[in-house]
Amino acid sequence: MKLAYYPGCVAQETGKELDLATRWVCKTLGIELVEFPNFSCCGSGFVDEANEVLNVAINARNLAIAERAGLDLLTICSTCQGMLTLANVRMSDAAVRAKVDGALRPLGIEYKGTVRVKHLLRVLVEDVGLPALRSKVRRPLAGLKVGAFYGCHLLRPSDETGGEPGEEPRSFEQLLDALGAEPVYYRGRVMCCGFPIQFVKPETAARITGKQIAEAKDHGADAMATPCPLCHISLDAYQNKAEHAVGRSLSMPVFHLPQVVGLALGATPEELGLSRHLVPTDAALAKIGTAARA
Amino acid sequence: MANDTISVPLDVYRFDPLHDAQPRYQRYTLDLAPHTPVLTALLKIRAEVDPTLRLRYSCRSAICGSCSMQINSKSRLACETHVGPEVELHGRVVVEPMRNQPVVRDLVVDQAPFWKQYDRMEPHLKLDPAKPMPEGRPNPMTEAQVERFHDTPRCIACAACFSACPAVEADPEFPGPMALAKLYRFVVDPRDNGTQDRLVRIQTEGLWLCLRCHLCTDSCPKNVRPAERIRDLKEMAIRVQGATERGSRHAVGFKDNIRSTGTLNELKLARQTSGFAGFVGQLGQGIRIWRKKPEITKRPHPVQGAEELEKIYEALDKPGDRR
Repeated sequence: MKLAYYPGCVAQETGKELDLATRWVCKTLGIELVEFPNFSCCGSGFVDEANEVLNVAINARNLAIAERAGLDLLTICSTCQGMLTLANVRMSDAAVRAKVDGALRPLGIEYKGTVRVKHLLRVLVEDVGLPALRSKVRRPLAGLKVGAFYGCHLLRPSDETGGEPGEEPRSFEQLLDALGAEPVYYRGRVMCCGFPIQFVKPETAARITGKQIAEAKDHGADAMATPCPLCHISLDAYQNKAEHAVGRSLSMPVFHLPQVVGLALGATPEELGLSRHLVPTDAALAKIGTAARA
Repeated sequence: MANDTISVPLDVYRFDPLHDAQPRYQRYTLDLAPHTPVLTALLKIRAEVDPTLRLRYSCRSAICGSCSMQINSKSRLACETHVGPEVELHGRVVVEPMRNQPVVRDLVVDQAPFWKQYDRMEPHLKLDPAKPMPEGRPNPMTEAQVERFHDTPRCIACAACFSACPAVEADPEFPGPMALAKLYRFVVDPRDNGTQDRLVRIQTEGLWLCLRCHLCTDSCPKNVRPAERIRDLKEMAIRVQGATERGSRHAVGFKDNIRSTGTLNELKLARQTSGFAGFVGQLGQGIRIWRKKPEITKRPHPVQGAEELEKIYEALDKPGDRR
């Protein structure tokens, strides 16, 4: 399998451990990642707020890069997934398309609309397939209770994402099950992490973050796992703020999606960049008999 | 017609604040056809099993918006949610009152918080007193003008979106999806004299607290897309007033941030959005993160072909350019 790899901004900077883990997992599973140094930021939903057509154009440019290479596109971020999918959807509106084409044509860029945007979660579940994945597990995550945290833009609006029901998805839990972990179901798994208003009203964002983590904990989760690095920022890097907002200690390790996959496939904590997390993952690793080196 | 029935376990939220210390869930198990609406099941319980069950409903045809409640955690109309798929997915049907509104009894909530937010938006036509309506007939609108209302007139005020919204839950300043969709409807009404004021006011009254989670869109029984109308309001507010609030500063700042490089400079954006004092206030957290993730202070490399982006911006991001 060969895909255009769209890492997104975060995985190239503060979320580097996500990029690291993705490469390890894809290499192990024989997924070839083709890199394009001319991919730009997806706009993260914020550009869409300021200028809808511009946001579509930026992402049509990204999609055109993959289209020229004849490849579908792999994302590792729920928000990138959402924004690139949105561009595909909006380009079917003739008025939007005319404006976008008008801006791209003078640059010699054309996007015909043939690229499928696939998040790593969907590639693992639909293309690699759970039976194949299960057969490659070398270190089953037995005994580890994991609360999946999807990230809104991967799921909704569900008539546009083309995936599973936007309020009751199952794919991540099925994946966790295939890795030997015990998925934890809680309402917050499909909710917002608070990230979009992190800079608008931090105290409200922290309340939202705290609520989701607390709910996962109250349902028995030893750890959470997310396919979105923006959710990871909220859940991990800002967990101290969330604890303060909900008035209780949470100490919840939060994995990136390919990190849990990597652990089950036999990667070392170092190969997955686990030491870069703000909340230590040691307690969760101990449960599956793996020690993190300091 | 097939008359195969399935056994449907319903766990119904019961609470009478006057007599009960705690809410409880009561299990009723009924044999029902899979396509039976949850509302029909509840009415059957009330008629045949337990006459004390309280719920609100009227038309049974997804028109009146009265029977919204939580069904397996989703905010939905009970009259158009069928028991079969719920049992298939969850093994049972958990029925609870809507969220974000206090429970009066069982499945009935006090909708006051919802209507209070609606009233705050002043969702009525504000005519220019200097330009009275033409004698004898109402102000006519063209078809194109009516189309700008988009999906918003379809709203039946069931409050499913209000119940589903995590921003409503976390912050009473947020008006909620329905109120903002209604606001949008009057903002784009060519007869309304208050467009400018409405947009300026909403910038400081909660518009920027929308999380873009689209739970409202997925909950709406009438296929209104409140999150997209809220997005429209944001863009219009910026065009009318500029980036005056933290939310709009962040959106515009983000847009301009990636313009010349194609990639995000997180530190610069944080400074722009938060202002100097806000930025200093975040330094402690920034240093905590920097210890583990030193890239936070790094200026990212421009992507190849960044000059193409510059050109796209020149074409599509002209000031005053209206959609």
